[in-house]
Amino acid sequence: MWNQVLLSLQGSMDRVMDRIAMLLPGIVAFGVAVLVFVLIAWLLAGLTRFILRALRFDERLARGTRTIAEWSPSYTPTVLIARIIFWATVLLGFLVGLEALGASSDNYVSTRLLGYLPHVVGAVVLLVFGNIIARFLSRSVLIGAVNMNLQYARLLSQGVKWLVLVLTAAMVLDHLAIGTAIVDLAFGILFGGIVLAMALAVGLGSRDLVSRSLDREAARPNVEPMPEEKLRHF
Amino acid sequence: MANLELGEDTKKRTETPVTADLLIAIVTPVNVEELRAAAAETILRMSPQNVAEADPSLSGLRAAVAFPGIDGEDPESSNNTVHLDPAGSGVEIHFVPLAISNSPSEIPWLGSSTAYQAVFSLGREMGVSACAVVASDLAALRPDALQSLLAPVRESRCDLCMPIYPIGKFEGLLNSSILAPLPRALYGKRVSFPLAPDFGISSRLLPTLEQPARQIVSQGKTLFWPATEAAVRGQGICQTHLNVRHVPGDGLDLSTVIAQTVGPLFAEMEGHAALWQRVRGSQAVEATGSPLPLAVEDSTVDVRPMLETFALGFRNLQEMWALVLPPVTLLELKRLSRMGADQFRMPDQLWVRIVYDFALAYRLRTLSRTHLLGALTPLYLGWAASHVLEVSKMRARDAELRVERLARAYEDEKPYLLSRWRWPDRFNP
Repeated sequence: MWNQVLLSLQGSMDRVMDRIAMLLPGIVAFGVAVLVFVLIAWLLAGLTRFILRALRFDERLARGTRTIAEWSPSYTPTVLIARIIFWATVLLGFLVGLEALGASSDNYVSTRLLGYLPHVVGAVVLLVFGNIIARFLSRSVLIGAVNMNLQYARLLSQGVKWLVLVLTAAMVLDHLAIGTAIVDLAFGILFGGIVLAMALAVGLGSRDLVSRSLDREAARPNVEPMPEEKLRHF
Repeated sequence: MANLELGEDTKKRTETPVTADLLIAIVTPVNVEELRAAAAETILRMSPQNVAEADPSLSGLRAAVAFPGIDGEDPESSNNTVHLDPAGSGVEIHFVPLAISNSPSEIPWLGSSTAYQAVFSLGREMGVSACAVVASDLAALRPDALQSLLAPVRESRCDLCMPIYPIGKFEGLLNSSILAPLPRALYGKRVSFPLAPDFGISSRLLPTLEQPARQIVSQGKTLFWPATEAAVRGQGICQTHLNVRHVPGDGLDLSTVIAQTVGPLFAEMEGHAALWQRVRGSQAVEATGSPLPLAVEDSTVDVRPMLETFALGFRNLQEMWALVLPPVTLLELKRLSRMGADQFRMPDQLWVRIVYDFALAYRLRTLSRTHLLGALTPLYLGWAASHVLEVSKMRARDAELRVERLARAYEDEKPYLLSRWRWPDRFNP
């Protein structure tokens, strides 16, 4: 009996080693593909930066009132585009590597998992962009509301931010195909609820807060209109 | 020299060679019929027929009037030469529509860099001896005003003649707080209104300014600063007291005006960084004409809305201000936010350092530039409230001296700007 146990263990180990031997070329191919594509990405990014600087791309783009740089102020458009090209090429390398890894694996679960990875990558990209847009829009609303002397500026800003984040979360979950019907319904209820709550806050719920703010603004121009005309900023 | 870059429409209208001795240019949209009438009347009154206002040097001169005109909108576009010679005065006026237009987002009363480039090109092509740029409300299209602007440049006393407007102590606050003192500290010339819509240029300066105007257009910048460009190139600048009042129309809010004027000023700092870092102090600019009596302000201004906006900004925008301003400045602002209206005073040094820190943040793109300039608005209103409270009990002359003290504070704090500009990552409490 002991011999049979040993034989079984040896058989299992042989199968595991066979499996590893089958996967190893795929893993090596994955690593090589990623490395090669990182090198290609680095060259492409450098070339892109060189070409865009030679074309004075940043200056030409700055002629518009809304530029790419407004959304990511720390980097110039040239640097942004070069980085996008770099990471897009690396991502392509990942996908090519996954293809090689998947080809060497005939396991159903592995194939499905590998096929799901692009969705995960897409979801991460959606999350990142959603956060950038939410931050930008909330700041825009906050500054605009403060300059208009609205006392509920922060409430408006947070509302806009959470609206965008909820929308982003729903899109991410939809992309990941997680609980599609429930997520659609929950999103609809939540989004509609936030919008309705904000509308009710203006109309009914925060009546006192809003009416005090509105009274203050309405009263100010009527109380002393003449002195305001004497002050000119430009 | 680069080829002429006038629009095709303008080229067509000037193909029959038009030369003139004097160019009067309007760089923002104007009522063409009013312009024709006002220009004709003004030039006629300046002719020898009218002894009281005659400028002998203009006798027999040919004048050209350039204005923004878009094809199809000027019904008299084919009749752009008006000969005014009622009694043999020999005065001739050519009306030249320029194919330029302001985009909706630009400030309607300030000319764009595209418009200035077109005017400078046209003046050079026409071989004019002097050019006067006037605002589209035509308040400066009067014999006395034109003579004030043109006499210094025609007599070669300077190449650029900027105006000094008679403003009250509660007027031109944005100019007094940032637009005048900052270029003064940077470029070393004490120009009272560097972004004035009226000014005179000599024929020598026209080709010199054409190149930077073209460069500014190619870089996508919207505003052209004639005084800055002349100062940077070492050209002679003078000023003249001009009895003209411009009242900007409604339609643009304060944060938009700040974004459209202060933003380009900060952008210019980047372009001329190598030059202004070597400038120390400032030089007075010769002023011609008699100082005009300043408007007397009897009424008080309600500063409560400005203080409320400042306090609201402090409560809500601290997170953004903290990205731009050092902790000491934020502490000062916190102290200010707790002051009552009677004691609210923003020290000059604090305001100047705030402007310098925002200029640096503009360069480093610490925040989106739109957000940065929007976040400056409550701080500016805080300064404006402090200034109004301080000068409200002063006479007009003392208020002027108070503004001069602020301008000197900009010069005194320039070492702070230099160190922050050169070493932005250095520890700055």
